[in-house]
Amino acid sequence: MKLFEYQGKEIFGRYKIPVPKSRLADFKSIETALRSTNYPCVLKSQVLRGGRGKAGLIRVVNNEEEAKGEARRLFDIGINKLLIEEAVDIERELYLSITVEPVEGKALLIASAEGGMEIETLARDFPEKIIREKVDLNTGIMPFQARDVSYKLTEDTQIASQIASIILRLYAVFRDYDAELVEINPLFVSKSGSVIAGDAKLIIDDNSRYKHPEYQLTREHFESDAEYEAAMEGIPYLQFDGDISLMCAGAGLTTTVFDLIHYEGGTVANYLEFGGPNYRKAKRAMELCLKNESKVILIVTFGTIARADVMAKGVVEAIEALKPDRPIVTCIRGTNEEEAVKILKGANLTPIFDTEEAVREAVRIAKGVTA
Amino acid sequence: MSIFIDKSTRVLVQGITGKEGSFWTRHMKEMGTNVVAGVTPGKEGQEVEGIPVFHSVRRALQHTAVEASLIFVPPKFVKDAVFEALDGGIRKIVIMADGIPLHDTIQIRRAGLVENAKIIGGNTSGVITPGEAMMGSFPYWIERVYKPGDIGVMTRSGSLTNEVTAMVVRAGFGVSTLVGVGGDPVPGTRFAELLRDYQEDSATRAVVIIGELGGSMEEEVAESMESGIYTKPLVAFLAGRTAPEGKKMGHAGAIVSNGTGTVEGKIRALEKAGALVAERPRMVGELLKQIFKEDA
Repeated sequence: MKLFEYQGKEIFGRYKIPVPKSRLADFKSIETALRSTNYPCVLKSQVLRGGRGKAGLIRVVNNEEEAKGEARRLFDIGINKLLIEEAVDIERELYLSITVEPVEGKALLIASAEGGMEIETLARDFPEKIIREKVDLNTGIMPFQARDVSYKLTEDTQIASQIASIILRLYAVFRDYDAELVEINPLFVSKSGSVIAGDAKLIIDDNSRYKHPEYQLTREHFESDAEYEAAMEGIPYLQFDGDISLMCAGAGLTTTVFDLIHYEGGTVANYLEFGGPNYRKAKRAMELCLKNESKVILIVTFGTIARADVMAKGVVEAIEALKPDRPIVTCIRGTNEEEAVKILKGANLTPIFDTEEAVREAVRIAKGVTA
Repeated sequence: MSIFIDKSTRVLVQGITGKEGSFWTRHMKEMGTNVVAGVTPGKEGQEVEGIPVFHSVRRALQHTAVEASLIFVPPKFVKDAVFEALDGGIRKIVIMADGIPLHDTIQIRRAGLVENAKIIGGNTSGVITPGEAMMGSFPYWIERVYKPGDIGVMTRSGSLTNEVTAMVVRAGFGVSTLVGVGGDPVPGTRFAELLRDYQEDSATRAVVIIGELGGSMEEEVAESMESGIYTKPLVAFLAGRTAPEGKKMGHAGAIVSNGTGTVEGKIRALEKAGALVAERPRMVGELLKQIFKEDA
């Protein structure tokens, strides 16, 4: 779960990682907030997607009049919250992050003297400018590691010591918040020689969310209503804009069906998994599929505990209840598959037993309807 | 022969009295697995399917020798259970739970390396040597999938494993040992580490890997082949060739993988190392046929 910048900066503040002075404002509080702000300042849209600068969602403004205009424009395009932040006199921009290193089973600290730009771009074009330091979770980060990294970033001892202490605090945030990633990009060095976090990106591991109930998933964490609705019910769902709705079981199998559809020249309306613990949610899953403009629903499963006959029964009940307005192609296999075939045939469906054949049938139907 | 488990392997089940634990213990026994003891704190004295239950791993070990432990406890208790098994000297561990906290998985991975233990999972169906024994939750009763034979299978996935393995069997082959390394970002054991075992296993003639986008496990397999650690034939199927990238991890994730992680990149690495890559599940069986026809 990704946190908003303002949430990340609140946490940084508590851990004494320097952040620029700021206040959060919504549509109602913006006027008062802008009246008592020093200029120039930065208006930062609180959205979760990356590339905010390029998208025009972060604006430097020089006076109250200009700020009001920009704020109005941002609220008009659907931004809910703005972080009004003091402008920093920037000398240099650095990069700092901590994530996991799965091969050795450690945390990985990444730093670069070239902050600001996208780190993938930097890693691709200038791999030698990336500093990596692995940290054993059992001992935690050692101060010498933080010092060593900071001296690779700067020769200035006063600045290096500030960076080293930020690294130690960032590691504490990483551990305490069960982070998948904690990133400061850019990390400012100001003209007056202070080191300040320009941004705060914190992704809490989804499997550890139960330890941080103060942060809840909201509609803003998802790209569509359907994705949000599905997530609230624990159904993995991704929205696309093609013709075929997938209702499959298991991430690997669903992804494979997704590939096969593309190989056969078809397009996907949505990715949906109703296997595992969700195998009794056929009706809910089908409802989500029917909200799309898809032309056919393709059901492919090969279950173990999620018994084929139970899934088939669920699908038939869903059809009876929802009376779908589009054809349904089924390929339900696994434990008790013979019984599943009987159930599906009993409901006037034509069960297919081979995944590729089922995919071709769905693509044929989708194209037939278009033509 | 086989890798990791055969019918003589003495198996302990941690979390044996739970719903999942007891259900799959019954199936493991029915299949012929040598389950010797179970552990659930507070339940010593009970039996599950005739298997004695103990309060702790240490207490179980006072009564019986154990070679491998299957862990059926809920995600947040997994780390404790793994360290308890390691403390008892058990060096083969399978973790079933889906949803283990990420930082726990890092520490589990580290402990496995330091203690020289093979920890499989989490988020897996486990390990099965068809016709002999299993630690996990495979539908071994589906004969068109779980047929004994001489093809090793390693997988990151669940239902896709049934799909692909069915194609191996349809082509006339069977499985020596199938290992699900699990779908978590930090699995306890990685593909390349198991390849060494398959290389040494006389019952395995070739290995099939079922991979997917993300991480670098498939690239490590390619490295093992290039460096001569693994020299038998290898067929790979990878899911997610047409999937949109970058949904899960942020920038640092992309940098950790250092350009790896895309299915295209994995296919290039594997083909360069001499692996055959199947575009579709069905082709896995066909490629195996091709390999062994050339041999004959």
